[in-house]
Amino acid sequence: MRKGLIAAGLAVLVAVAVVTAAVAKPSAQATPAQVAQCTNVSIGFLGPLTGVAAFLGQEQVSWVRFGVQKYNRANGTRFKVVNGDTQLKAPVARTVARRLVSDSNVMAVVGGSESQAVRVSGNLFENANLASISGSATAVDLTKGHPYRSFYRVVPNDAIQAPQIVNYVRRNLDASNVVVIDSQDDYSLPLATAIQRGLRARGATVARESVSADDTDFSAVVANVGNDVDVVVFATQVASAANTLSNQLREQGKDAIVFGTDGAYSPTQYKPRLGYVSSFANDIRFLPSARSIVREYNRYSNNKAFGTFGPPSYMAGWVAMTAITAACADGNATRAEVTRLVRRTNIPSILGGRVRFDGKGDPLPAKFYIFRVSGEKYTLVG
Amino acid sequence: MDWDKLVQLLVAGATAGSVYALVALGFTMVYGILKLLNLAHGDVLMVGAFIGWGVLGWLGGAQDPSVAVWLLVVLMLMAAMAGCGFLGVAIERFAYRPLRRAPRIAPLISALGVSFFIQNSVLLLFGADFRSYDSFDLVDVGVGVHWGPLNVWIIRLVVMGSALAMMLGLWLLVTRSKLGKAMRATAVDREAAAMMGIDVDRVIVKTFFIGSALAGAAGVLVGLVFGQINHFMGFNYGLKGFTAAVVGGIGSIPGAMLGGLLIGLAEALSVGYIEDLTRGRLGSAFSDLVVFLILIVFMLVRPQGILGKPEVKKV
Repeated sequence: MRKGLIAAGLAVLVAVAVVTAAVAKPSAQATPAQVAQCTNVSIGFLGPLTGVAAFLGQEQVSWVRFGVQKYNRANGTRFKVVNGDTQLKAPVARTVARRLVSDSNVMAVVGGSESQAVRVSGNLFENANLASISGSATAVDLTKGHPYRSFYRVVPNDAIQAPQIVNYVRRNLDASNVVVIDSQDDYSLPLATAIQRGLRARGATVARESVSADDTDFSAVVANVGNDVDVVVFATQVASAANTLSNQLREQGKDAIVFGTDGAYSPTQYKPRLGYVSSFANDIRFLPSARSIVREYNRYSNNKAFGTFGPPSYMAGWVAMTAITAACADGNATRAEVTRLVRRTNIPSILGGRVRFDGKGDPLPAKFYIFRVSGEKYTLVG
Repeated sequence: MDWDKLVQLLVAGATAGSVYALVALGFTMVYGILKLLNLAHGDVLMVGAFIGWGVLGWLGGAQDPSVAVWLLVVLMLMAAMAGCGFLGVAIERFAYRPLRRAPRIAPLISALGVSFFIQNSVLLLFGADFRSYDSFDLVDVGVGVHWGPLNVWIIRLVVMGSALAMMLGLWLLVTRSKLGKAMRATAVDREAAAMMGIDVDRVIVKTFFIGSALAGAAGVLVGLVFGQINHFMGFNYGLKGFTAAVVGGIGSIPGAMLGGLLIGLAEALSVGYIEDLTRGRLGSAFSDLVVFLILIVFMLVRPQGILGKPEVKKV
């Protein structure tokens, strides 16, 4: 009798579970495709807002929010920004991406800021038909073979950056003995490897060193740099790290010049006596056409310092809002519709030229910029 | 043998080791008295670095300081030590004292919470940007000792000298003063010390003040010698300082100093030679592997550390 009761109880529990699952499944699946009421639409932001790369994410989200405020004023829209903090950790980025997917008001995402965040969120966004537009993820594999069909980026990839650095180091700086340093993260490892290979292919002697992304002291690595080394290429996302490296080379009496990759671009943080840095975007402070927007941003942020990370994210947000507005022309929009419209983007950029994408989601045309750095003075040289 | 390289690696290791030793002292003092791992200790160092940066900015910045450089450094150290000392006292009062009779896991979790709280408070207050001491503008890197293969920037000498002086001062305090005697008594047996008339609470508060002040000084020294600080830096220094304390023998003050230097030197030398020793299989990226391998070996072979005493329990 007792066994029978237990069995019946279990059967009821199983039945309830099956019914609940059956009822819950369609609604969970429906979320991504849900039709948005265009009066309450958000764009998600996926980037590091805390942790070691928080400076990057904070600059980006500040520019995205500035863009949203400006767009709303100009177009009478009411876009909001939903923050997603990756902490520069892939598992966290995936969890945050899931949250953005499940928020039916989010119709497009700006980010992931870092390539590893794109790798872990790309398939989630693709399955939800949610467009993600990055303002800084430059790893080649994010668009090679088009693995994430709803992913776009407004910055060129490392397949462009590495050859340009190699070319400049070999041809313009005439360097034959080079040390390449990576910072053991998804951003710098492939980039440093591509630069190392490129330099070797061009006949340079190349040694490879590694530091940790959150290291503040490089004196032990500098001790490994020979006195005859011409250039140290540092693939880092921390501009002040490139500055410390440059000073510690001088401290140990070494003449090698530091060449920072795009992550090192910061006139307030990277200011060696003589150095070089590449950038995926022109510095809008140097563009006469961008003077008014720089003024507006300074007013908006109370003169908060910024580098080259913010403005591309502003453009990524602008791409998202333009597509959503177009999709909302009939009062309702779906994520799939927005993604289709992002693909067809053709709008003017505050960085000069226009924002357009090729079939894989990369920007057209693609170019990196090289600056000579002397103290806080940055001069465009390539 | 490349002597230039070896000498520079030793200098780099000794500098980092001095900082680790100061951090390790804080860990070891608190553990000695409360048997508590103060996991927020690294974040106290970070706060010290920010206080020093604030004083530097207040006094005109590195490019144009309004007082002599030596005075500026002394003021930065004093402000950071005082600020962090009081922060340590506040942490003890609000996060650890209410849990003093709780199971040992409770204050450990509380320490983790304090660590995140401090980190995120600094993030909110100062933002996420890396801040620079610009100490390379304060004193040119050319100023210092340049003798054969030896190139030592004067700021490195200041860091090593200050760390050594503070360690000696602490050692004298603990071994020669009345407070030191009370600290040692409390470390041996808290209840017995209380019965002998020692105000245990006061001793614990003073221990936190001194340990945290040393961490604050370490924060300023890190900022001065390496130039950059951020809200996240405490984790790394805390971890290395903790490793140094364990390797040296947690609870032992000379052990903390020795452990700090050992970890600093091991880290620097492994960056320099790991590639040669492993015939290119491992690169400088694996220097932390060596550091934490040392920790594991000590835990297995000599868990009490170099100068620690094995814990004897009456059964």
